[in-house]
Amino acid sequence: MTDPRQPIAWRHVAYLLLSLTMVAAPHVFYLRWWTIALVSALIAWRAYLGYARLALPSRWLLILVALGATLGVFISYRTIFGRDAGVALLVVMLGLKFLETRTLRDATLLIFLGYFLVITNFLRDQTIPTGFYMLACTLVITATMISLHYARAEPAFRVQLRMAGVLLAQSVPLMLVLFLLFPRVPGPLWGMPQDTFAGTSGLSDTMTPGSLSKLTLSDAVAFRVKFESSLPRRRHLYWRGPVMWDFDGRTWSVARFFYNTPLPKTEGEAVSYEVTLEPHNRRWMFALDIPGKVPPLAFISGDFQIYANQPVKNRVRYDMLSYLNASYGVSENRFALRRALNLPAGTNPRALELARSLREKHADDLPLVEAVLRMFRDQNFFYTLEPPLLGDHPVDEFLFKTRAGFCEHFASAFAVLMRGAGIPARIVTGYQGGDMNEFGNYLIVRQAEAHAWVEIWLRDRGWVRVDPTSVVSPLRVDSGISAAVPATDPLPFMVRGDIEWLRRLRLSWDFMANSWNQWVLGYTPERQRWLLGSVGIDNATWQKLTAILFFLAGVIVATLTALALRQLRRRVRDPVNAAYLRFCDKLRRKGLSRDPTEGPVDYARRVEGSRPDLKPAVAAITRLYVALRYGTERGTEALMDLQRRVRQFSA
Amino acid sequence: MSRTIESVVAQVGSIILGKEHQIRLAIACLLARGHLLIEDIPGVGKTTLAHALATSLGMGFQRIQFTSDLLPADIIGVSIYNRDTGDFQFHAGPIFSQVVLADEVNRATPKAQSALLEAMEEHQVTTEGETRHLPEPFFVIATQNPSYQVGTFPLPESQLDRFLMRIHLGYPDSEAERALLQGENRRDLLAALKPAMRPQELAALQHRAQQVHSSSALLDYVQAIADHTRRTADYVNGLSPRAALALLHAARAWALMAERDHVVPEDVQAVLPAVVGHRLVRAGDVTKADGVDIADHLIKQVAIP
Amino acid sequence: MYGVLKNRLYTWLFQPRGRDRGAIVLVQRRVFILPTRQGLLFALVLLLMLTGSINYTLGLGFVLTFLLGALGVNAMIHTWRNLANLRVTGGRAQPVFAGDAAQFTVHLENGGDTDRYAIGLTRNRNNATFADVPARATVAAGIGIPAPRRGILRPGRLTLFTRFPLGLYYAWAYLELDIQCLVYPRPAFPGLPLPPALASAGAGAERGRGQEDFSGMRQYHVGDSLRHIAWKAAARDQGLLTKLFSGQSETELWLDWTQLPAQMGVEERLSHLARWVLDAHAAGLSFGLRLPGETVDLAGGAAQRERCLEVLALFESGK
Repeated sequence: MTDPRQPIAWRHVAYLLLSLTMVAAPHVFYLRWWTIALVSALIAWRAYLGYARLALPSRWLLILVALGATLGVFISYRTIFGRDAGVALLVVMLGLKFLETRTLRDATLLIFLGYFLVITNFLRDQTIPTGFYMLACTLVITATMISLHYARAEPAFRVQLRMAGVLLAQSVPLMLVLFLLFPRVPGPLWGMPQDTFAGTSGLSDTMTPGSLSKLTLSDAVAFRVKFESSLPRRRHLYWRGPVMWDFDGRTWSVARFFYNTPLPKTEGEAVSYEVTLEPHNRRWMFALDIPGKVPPLAFISGDFQIYANQPVKNRVRYDMLSYLNASYGVSENRFALRRALNLPAGTNPRALELARSLREKHADDLPLVEAVLRMFRDQNFFYTLEPPLLGDHPVDEFLFKTRAGFCEHFASAFAVLMRGAGIPARIVTGYQGGDMNEFGNYLIVRQAEAHAWVEIWLRDRGWVRVDPTSVVSPLRVDSGISAAVPATDPLPFMVRGDIEWLRRLRLSWDFMANSWNQWVLGYTPERQRWLLGSVGIDNATWQKLTAILFFLAGVIVATLTALALRQLRRRVRDPVNAAYLRFCDKLRRKGLSRDPTEGPVDYARRVEGSRPDLKPAVAAITRLYVALRYGTERGTEALMDLQRRVRQFSA
Repeated sequence: MSRTIESVVAQVGSIILGKEHQIRLAIACLLARGHLLIEDIPGVGKTTLAHALATSLGMGFQRIQFTSDLLPADIIGVSIYNRDTGDFQFHAGPIFSQVVLADEVNRATPKAQSALLEAMEEHQVTTEGETRHLPEPFFVIATQNPSYQVGTFPLPESQLDRFLMRIHLGYPDSEAERALLQGENRRDLLAALKPAMRPQELAALQHRAQQVHSSSALLDYVQAIADHTRRTADYVNGLSPRAALALLHAARAWALMAERDHVVPEDVQAVLPAVVGHRLVRAGDVTKADGVDIADHLIKQVAIP
Repeated sequence: MYGVLKNRLYTWLFQPRGRDRGAIVLVQRRVFILPTRQGLLFALVLLLMLTGSINYTLGLGFVLTFLLGALGVNAMIHTWRNLANLRVTGGRAQPVFAGDAAQFTVHLENGGDTDRYAIGLTRNRNNATFADVPARATVAAGIGIPAPRRGILRPGRLTLFTRFPLGLYYAWAYLELDIQCLVYPRPAFPGLPLPPALASAGAGAERGRGQEDFSGMRQYHVGDSLRHIAWKAAARDQGLLTKLFSGQSETELWLDWTQLPAQMGVEERLSHLARWVLDAHAAGLSFGLRLPGETVDLAGGAAQRERCLEVLALFESGK
């Protein structure tokens, strides 16, 4: 059946159903219920019609359903474009096309739609399991496509599956060449749909009590870091993120303006490393305190926040440099310092009261800070992932009532006390720590490691980092969050490290995921340039790339063609015949080729006629060959004798 | 054993001059228990060859001259009413002989021809409801004039198949002809001929011819040849399974005469003209190509597997 | 001018080489390949997927797109391989009557170790017959070609093609096989009645019996022809026996061109003669055929029928 107009068989409908269901299945979790119901109904209808061999519905009815579904999508999603609406529309159209699939041409169209649907799955998820599942889908779709093109006897479906496997496996080399060398254009070509990154987790530009502890429930990776030299001590691993200046009594938020950049005074060696940041749909890029350079397409603010020019919607990789010992902000702008003292009137009165009394006790800043920290350490403050809810004056309630909180509570309370005592203070959010993966020798920083700390400004010393959480729970900083919180707290599974083999397992898994990210998902134009540079192809223009690409593709196609031709030749399995053919081949090179219709005895006579010197050897070989192939001789000695004589024979 | 064959070849060759290959084919045909058709113009020694063969092999010999008024009964025999016994008595016809020379077989009517051909096929004759076996060995040498001669009933192709081989004698070469002209009368020579082989020896040789080994590679070749004739448009009809079997039997006998215990492709090729020449008709060929031409074409088309 | 160029291009590309005697081996340069409409659509889908992958920076999207692209290239090799190195020989075709379809057979020999599927044989791309050729096997593919006129029918240029395995490419090879089919004239319907037969000299009253076909003897019954009494046996005092004969007519039925009405045209005459040949054969008669410049002698049976029809088919065809 290879005429495009030819109707397809019921079993092909079943194969199409199988492959399309496989591809569409992952979308089920994201589609609206009515879409699923509609498509299921359409598919069930088609399956019934195919099974009962009934006529398919009229095109007008289908157009009506299509219009209705489009309207439904618009009502549900307020648009018919974008990822979710687009996928919903595509799935509905697939179901409708399925219902009117009569001929090979329709089926082929469905197959192509199926391939396209595979790629829509990657909009949501590009992990290794998805990759393999989609490979399986591609295999089934390809097998279905093959099954459509038999004309007479159609073997069992597993034969098609195997053939599809062979076809795809043979395509891998060319795929690799294309993947590595196809001139990459940095995306996007046009605007991304708004909803593409809904639901990605990460730090935000505000901090309220409970916002960070919610984040610690996620074991999603925030970024991975590969250090060029040795890993710094764990308590230096403060990954700087949003810096918050403004406080409304409950919520800290990031300043909307920036003061000019004060240059840091650095001491000691810089730490160099490479960060691979997961997309989080915000502009922050994370670096160790304090960053010493700015990655491309980004800038740094006066409070050392690194901002990307665009929200980070794709995994980005950047080289970084940080100074662990540096003083900065000694000559801080006075407007900034004033801003760092602002407190909203009428909120948290008891905290301000406490601050004022502390100021009276301690004239100098440092003893005051010491006193506050001592209070946190000594007065039964408790570090927990599940802090009690707080009311209108959260700092007051925390300090004097609940005394149980997560880092944001301690940081917020500390900053409020500092400002109340007249010391400029700001909140820095980010991540603290990280999980060393010894398989890939890189550090994984997860959302669960989100942290908040405080920077206070001291005269002549500039901004100084104070982490009140480390006072309450030294383990948080020294050993990580899983050691710091009670075992009953709901930490994500991946963050817990209690079971050694499990930890190793998840680390090796993360290593694979990271390699996948680095080489498959994160194969960017820069990476391509770097790779080509490392094999000696510098400043690869797209012309150069295309030339190399075509050359390698040509080599691969030639190899595949040669392989195909080899398969077309008949293999000689019989060792007797094989030996004799070798003998004939040796003579052929001397211009005495055997006609395929010439018998061995005649051939030997002819050869002996023109080359009397070869007579003994030719006669012996021919006698052995005839005895083995046409006579009753079955001995292995005779065969070995023949093979030996053929080997030694030279014309 | 083979010396006896050689002596038969030599003896017959002394009478039919310069036709050793044809004599060998005729003997191979006999060893393969097949019947022989000699097709040629009159006067080239067809009858002499048949006679010489029969005598040299020590077998009984009968000659039937086929004419247009020959009746089946003239071949098979006839039941005649015996008044003394009140019974029918069967008078055996000339077919009841070890070697039957059916001379100018295409001069007789199809009815008479088919009586002969049935006997050849069955090795028995049935008249008036009674089956009578023919002697063993039973060997028919039929001669035939080329079919374009007037007043002939060419044997139908289906019945030609019953002859294992068809050979042509052809004119003798000049040397042989000179010897023929100078030599004695053939008839006198024939009369003086002594059997060179005993009947048991012949039977043993026929048995041995059946035993000659044909390997699967050789069977592949025979099959490839048969297959080719069936496939291509070159021939009006392909070789029948019986023809393929005939080819194999003939090749075995040929191998035996070459003192080999197995068949090689060359044996097949050697007997091919005689075996397939009368079984294949070239498509669109009005002149009816010679057996040798057909076989040469066929050999050149089929690769030896 | 355009026509000339097109012809040149055609000649250069496809190198028509006249009829091939014997086998055709589909060597590389005999097999042509082009993408099908589906293949172009596939390319379009791939382009869309590539654009999507670039826009959304989908690493796996690139992987899939390039994998399918490579698959498309590989499919070309496989489609070509499905046809390449096939050995094609023309088979024989049974004669047909004009107006029927001649069934030509083409033998496809696959000498290699790979099965080949869905190989189509067609003359005009409208209808095709398909064959699967397993490894090391030979398969016959038949193709019906209408035979409108009597004479020799040649199938002309046939096309052997395949779209297997993915339908993205159309690979084809032209076959100029030296095969032909004999087309007999269409028998007239209804035909004229058979012309009267001439009794052969010496034949007697007992029509429908031959004298040469002696089949045995039996006791004489009253009413048996005196001509058939075995007088020799009677002379030997064996009593009265009757010789039995069986078989064909001994009449001479001549189907003669001149027996047909003078106003008939050539084709019409041939058509009526063909009808007579069939009728005479069906009646089991022995007959001969006389045409201007050609005569088929008296004979009976299927061979005679075919010989006569062949002469009618080729009458004045210049052969």
